[in-house]
Amino acid sequence: MDFIGGILYDCLYHAVPILLCVLGGIFAYKANVLNIALEGMMLAGAFVSVLVSFQTGSIVLGYLSAILICMVIGLIFAFFGVTCKGNVIVIGLAINMSITAIAGFVLQLMNSANIKLDFTNAADFKIDLPFIKNIPLIGDILSGHTVITYISFLAVIVIWFLMYRTKFGVYVRVVGENEDSAKSLGLNTNKYRYLAILLGAFFCSLAGINLALERMTIFTNNMTAGRGFIAIAAIYCGRGDPLSCSIYAIVFGLARALSVNLSLYAGAAAAVFDVIPYVVMSVVLTVVSMVKYRNRKVRGI
Amino acid sequence: MKKRTSAIAMALVLLSVLIFTGCGEKEGGNAKKGNSDLKVAVVCSGSGQNDNGYNQSACDGIKETAEEIGCEYKIIEPVNGVPEALETLADDGYNLIFSLEYDFDALIKGVGGSEPIASQYPDTTFVVFNDNPNKDDSGEQIHKNVISVLFDVHEASYLAGYLSVQINENMEKLFDDSYGLTPLDTARGIGFIGGTNSNGILVYSYGFIEGISKAAEEYGVKYDYYAKYDAGFTDSALGSTVAGTFFDEGANVVFADAGVVGDGITAKAKELGKIAIQTDANLDTQQPGHVLTSVLKITGVPVKVITKSYADGKIAEMDRLQTYNLASGATGITDLAEMGKHVKDTAVWEEIKGKVKKISDQITNGEIKVTNKQLNEEFDEAKCPNVVIKTK
Repeated sequence: MDFIGGILYDCLYHAVPILLCVLGGIFAYKANVLNIALEGMMLAGAFVSVLVSFQTGSIVLGYLSAILICMVIGLIFAFFGVTCKGNVIVIGLAINMSITAIAGFVLQLMNSANIKLDFTNAADFKIDLPFIKNIPLIGDILSGHTVITYISFLAVIVIWFLMYRTKFGVYVRVVGENEDSAKSLGLNTNKYRYLAILLGAFFCSLAGINLALERMTIFTNNMTAGRGFIAIAAIYCGRGDPLSCSIYAIVFGLARALSVNLSLYAGAAAAVFDVIPYVVMSVVLTVVSMVKYRNRKVRGI
Repeated sequence: MKKRTSAIAMALVLLSVLIFTGCGEKEGGNAKKGNSDLKVAVVCSGSGQNDNGYNQSACDGIKETAEEIGCEYKIIEPVNGVPEALETLADDGYNLIFSLEYDFDALIKGVGGSEPIASQYPDTTFVVFNDNPNKDDSGEQIHKNVISVLFDVHEASYLAGYLSVQINENMEKLFDDSYGLTPLDTARGIGFIGGTNSNGILVYSYGFIEGISKAAEEYGVKYDYYAKYDAGFTDSALGSTVAGTFFDEGANVVFADAGVVGDGITAKAKELGKIAIQTDANLDTQQPGHVLTSVLKITGVPVKVITKSYADGKIAEMDRLQTYNLASGATGITDLAEMGKHVKDTAVWEEIKGKVKKISDQITNGEIKVTNKQLNEEFDEAKCPNVVIKTK
């Protein structure tokens, strides 16, 4: 694999978990429920998928159980945040912290620093696309990824369609923008919020599975390393639009890939690329809020 | 309706709690009564007593020794910071306390205007690891009741470097087709991934480079050396991709010194059919056949030695700075038994092991001197002409 190909391949590698979290968070963002539990849900997906595969020896069960558990966590989040009208920041924080603690506890019981699968190899999860893989450069980039990687890029289109071309998308946006008018139209606002959160939990579970089970066949605690929070920043930068939010996620992946690959030549100085996405996001967020509040005459709205 | 929803939700919460907690059985308490009036304690570092390495070795050491001499012991995973744990233990009458965390300020100098813990409890002996903080600016010892323990890991890393080149040069005889090693006529490379750019990590890398150079000189070849010293200690996926770039660049062996990030590195080695080296504990079975060896820091050895000498009443005579070298058994590389199961040609393998043994003896008797960055010795690139350091 040549150098540019390597960078672009790694770009997709690093972008996908963030991209999936972004897709998961968009509907909740549009429904005006800030889901900061993306990180915890992703970690839960990573943890459960590897743990169940390890215990049962079945990868399929690993996938399914991770999705199931993440949905349950999504339900818990939605129950406390929507039905009980709790503070979603506190609930999200609680979920993030308890998942780390539970994973740490189980690792302790297992007397191990990681959970790894001996019966399979990360190379087995890679799909080589016929024909495409023989095209130079493009083959390097597009071929050899995992199932969920391909799903995630299709999902961008699906989510875009769902948000702008279906009744469901319109309702979720109405609920988020003006709950009172949504209610006056007879919409069950809680239902749409629940669905938005559950959709998020589903995508976060995929992100976790991709990160741990598919890419490495190994789980180590806290392996999500803040990716869920980066996704939140990406959602804010793109203001909840599936396409622009996805671009921010990919920018982050690209920066990560550059910092990893260029460190071969530039050494520690390549770490500067890790900083770039944060700088870009800070600038964008500042500009976004300046534009948004330019014509406001009253504070605090 | 509302009641029913909340009932269902509660049931789901309970269910998830059951799922999460039903996976293992509870261990018994750690404190144990004994008949001697010696009470020893181990304060674990952040990775906890089940880290399969650094902490666990000390905990096992203390359990064994305590049973042997019949004394009381306690293992603590501090929740409110190391200083508080040290104070509580000293208050409870523990005479000998091992502190595994890299956290000495409160013990030696005192923080926030309070008296140093070591002088608050002059009858308690404290043992710290991996540094010698117990000295003032002029290098004089501050407290009599603090013992510092250092491991000569640079010597063990030297062996690992030497061994890496040996197996790389003999790859055709040692490894079958299931490996995906870069052939010698394409590239000769070795990598190093560390968690943070500090002396504690560099000491491994420098010893490793010198070992590589020594073996490369024997074969009359040159090796490219790729290093990343800021991979952190949590993001195993990052470690995995960094290792991937090193492997793609032609490196066949990557040394991992970055906690669980190393687990990502060995996973990558398995995926691509390459070789990794692990640190601190014997992690050779982590990815069987893809972990060449582990550079060990066996905290159990100093724990045993110091506890026994305390029990014999000789603690006051011991050196306040103790270094444990290859000969002591507290550092070294593993016995290579796991890798031995995966090589093709056992005769070549035994020959290599013999060579490594010889080098190990030469280090022990002082014929080979390895740079010890831990004691701030400067590393001289010019002394390793057969290693081209690509990244610093």
